[in-house]
Amino acid sequence: MKRRTFLQAGAAGLVFSTIAGTPAHAARSRKRAYVLVIDGCRPDELDSGLTPNLAALRDGGLRFAQALSMPVMETIPNHVMMMTGLRPDRTGVSANSVYDRRRGAVRDLDRPSDIRCETVIGRLNRRGHTTGTVLSKSYLYGVFGGRATHRWEPSPTLPITEHAPDVFTIEAALAMHEELDPNLMFVNLGDIDRFGHADLTGTTLQLARRLALADTDVQVQRFIDALKASGAWENAVVIVLADHSMDWSTPDKVISLAGPLEGDPLLAGKVQIADNGGADLLYWTGPRSQRERAVDRMRAIAREQDGVLAAYARTADWLRLGPEAGDVVVFCRAGWRFSDPDPLTSNPIPGNHGHPATRAIPFFVAGGHPVVPTAEVSSRVARTLDVAPTLARFFDVGRPSGGYDGRALLG
Amino acid sequence: MTTPSPRASALHRRTVLGTATAATVGAAALTGSPGHATSTAPSYFRHGVASGDPLPDAVLIWTRLTTSSRRADVRWEVAHDARFRDVVRRGTFTTTASRDHTVKVDVTGLSPATWYHYRFVHAGVASRVGRTRTAPGPDATPDNLRFGVVSCANLQAGWFSAYRGLAARDDLHAVVHLGDYLYEYGPSQYGYGFDDEDIRSHEPAHEMVSLADYRRRHAQYKRDADLQDLHAKYPWIVTWDDHEVTNDQYAGGAENYNTDLGEGAYRKRRARAHRAYDEWMPVRMDGTARLRDGDRLYRRLRFGRLAEISMLDLRSHRDAQASAPGPDVSDPDRTITGRQQLDWLKDSLHPGRAQWKVIGNPVMIAPVDFAGLPDALLDPINDVTGLLPRDGVPYNVDQWDGYTDDRREVFQHIRDHQVTDALFITGDIHSGWACELPYDASTYPVGASAGVEFVCSSVTSNNLKDITGTPPRTTSLAVEALITANNRHIKYLDFDSHGFSVLDLTPARAQMDWYVIGDRADRDTDITWAVSWATRTGTGRVEPAEEPV
Repeated sequence: MKRRTFLQAGAAGLVFSTIAGTPAHAARSRKRAYVLVIDGCRPDELDSGLTPNLAALRDGGLRFAQALSMPVMETIPNHVMMMTGLRPDRTGVSANSVYDRRRGAVRDLDRPSDIRCETVIGRLNRRGHTTGTVLSKSYLYGVFGGRATHRWEPSPTLPITEHAPDVFTIEAALAMHEELDPNLMFVNLGDIDRFGHADLTGTTLQLARRLALADTDVQVQRFIDALKASGAWENAVVIVLADHSMDWSTPDKVISLAGPLEGDPLLAGKVQIADNGGADLLYWTGPRSQRERAVDRMRAIAREQDGVLAAYARTADWLRLGPEAGDVVVFCRAGWRFSDPDPLTSNPIPGNHGHPATRAIPFFVAGGHPVVPTAEVSSRVARTLDVAPTLARFFDVGRPSGGYDGRALLG
Repeated sequence: MTTPSPRASALHRRTVLGTATAATVGAAALTGSPGHATSTAPSYFRHGVASGDPLPDAVLIWTRLTTSSRRADVRWEVAHDARFRDVVRRGTFTTTASRDHTVKVDVTGLSPATWYHYRFVHAGVASRVGRTRTAPGPDATPDNLRFGVVSCANLQAGWFSAYRGLAARDDLHAVVHLGDYLYEYGPSQYGYGFDDEDIRSHEPAHEMVSLADYRRRHAQYKRDADLQDLHAKYPWIVTWDDHEVTNDQYAGGAENYNTDLGEGAYRKRRARAHRAYDEWMPVRMDGTARLRDGDRLYRRLRFGRLAEISMLDLRSHRDAQASAPGPDVSDPDRTITGRQQLDWLKDSLHPGRAQWKVIGNPVMIAPVDFAGLPDALLDPINDVTGLLPRDGVPYNVDQWDGYTDDRREVFQHIRDHQVTDALFITGDIHSGWACELPYDASTYPVGASAGVEFVCSSVTSNNLKDITGTPPRTTSLAVEALITANNRHIKYLDFDSHGFSVLDLTPARAQMDWYVIGDRADRDTDITWAVSWATRTGTGRVEPAEEPV
């Protein structure tokens, strides 16, 4: 096991944990890469006028007109896809929330051991590069664990949202850049997502969301300005994307599958549900011999409910989800949400994602490194899982056994 | 589109019902010569050459042989160069009178995104040389795609200067025709301006009803020099609207259809129209160049990663138009697409397909709401557009406004799957529009847009100034202002002009340029750029563009 030391980072007073024996500053390569995740941002929001800095950054680099989050369109699996380049059937991380059959409980996939494959962070570390994670959400900090050379534990975090506001996250990113200057930094900015989840005016005016967009835009620009001031920009690739987008629902557009499933003689007492906002994962807990019939019943009952868009067998090819995602994946329509098992209390928040209405994301590449095109728009589809192959090619650190599921977007 | 009731007697316009068979060859040969190509056209190929439906490795080429033989062989050649020194494909096609001596060849084995030249040869006489272009490969990322966009070409209403304008350009990749390629009416029934003057008269001199009629009318249009030039210069991507059969047609009938006048069963009339269309148009019906193997017209054409065009057929599968404003327009049991085509359209509108999901849409999909128009203006506006119900309920029963449940399903699908860059290009209503497509028009611009719609004007068919009999840009200005004021998603509207559009697609934006012609009665009338509107990728909004591409 690697020991960790703690490093007091400059005047900011921020604390980073660092793998013992790691040089404080990157030494082997001048290349820098920064992955900035604007958590939950919709692609059209960058044209709203609220994010002039992000829009300018996008328009000056390589923009992907079609970019997609991958199922299940949730935060943890898509961050894991970014850093592994692999689909969930290979990473082991299919959703934020799953039913853990061994523990007999629903839980978040927020443990380092939940990722069952190597990340590009690890590949860089093995080649002598240094890496850093500045992740605003506690569960992201949890799932990436000690993989990065340097990592910031989100603080202070807000109650309920369990995330650090962007102003603190960017302070940490600035400090890490100034003091530790890793070759790769992976930054998650959670405000737009968290304010979006809670925005009671989400279906109309989006007052809270709009405030967050404007502020995050300022924070990102602070970071870009720092890269330019330090000279890192000239050797940098800056990938900016969202992990998923966001959709809003009103209290009358709530789906709860627990009741209908419990009312079925075959399924009663033998189904567990992991609610992921816009997607419900259904788990058959009855006899294995009845599983096929149970899957058919769960799908049929789900499809009968108002607001349900589709109910797939988890093994459907296009989903590429692992067994931890259960037996049936149910998506809601735009403007709806799931609340399971309790229709009133399990999910009262208006902003949700996880369903296909939240697949489109902003995705662009900026930076001063010559590999980054200038003011170009591409019609190729970019996906969250393309981040790791892009980084791997940029740093020339090879590919995992079996290759990447994503593809490199540069070079 | 809904056309005004012809002023001539319906009895008169339907008295001569020709038949197919032996008259066909003579009919074509005797067809008048409205175009100026007649004197120089090769005698065997008087109807020009055409190509269409480009794929990455194939394109359909077409001609028609003028001959008295029932059966004749036609050689065809496709080459990289116009002098045919580098021929890449050649063959022989046997045509017969049973197909009106038309020739359709699906030339395969071609290279993607490549210009080719083609010609036909019979008895040692060659046709004019046509030029065509294949589509980019499925994963290609072209910098741009550029299409001419046209609709509603009534030969009696004037000269096809719009086609001339497009043929003069060298920067297009294809031409998209959104329907009403020809009109069914006889002379004096639907022509130029307020008095329906015939600038040129239709042949045969009565409404087309029989197979021979439809063939002869196609032949007449194909003799127009401007049309021939445009067909010869670019591949075309076509769909029909109503007038290829008859006005306001639907699956089981049409406004301009009357069994009492000897037209026979409607389905048989339509089958005759479809057969002539298949024979005379450079299009794959039911996916093939073969005739009489099906008349499915809706289809997709992919242009690399940048765009895919889904051409709709909004006539063959629709229910009858609602007879009056009321709940019928939103009845979920009524359809404008048919179930199969609607599911197919939803497949076209799916994330991960090509970036610009272009829908070749024969009739408008944007909702058009209205209030506050003086009664004196209602009739003339409805005469040309059919848009404005008297009771203020907003719809035109002939377009998607008359089948709102289908539209709701399409828009809901776009929203459910967060589809971006859905772009409807539309013809039919003889006017230019640039619209956003709100999920909820009543609260817009609060709320999102499902995409955008650009509507091209007519090539020649009458519009509002003709129906009102007022000078251009007088009465129409007030109407346009009222409509745009009541429909915040409609950003541009021109009820008066005729011409063509140019659609340019890049990964960053889609832009439509509207070009207008002067007097349709003047064969050499000027053509000028009028206005351009664009939509930036991912926005679902339109904005004016400063200059044409």
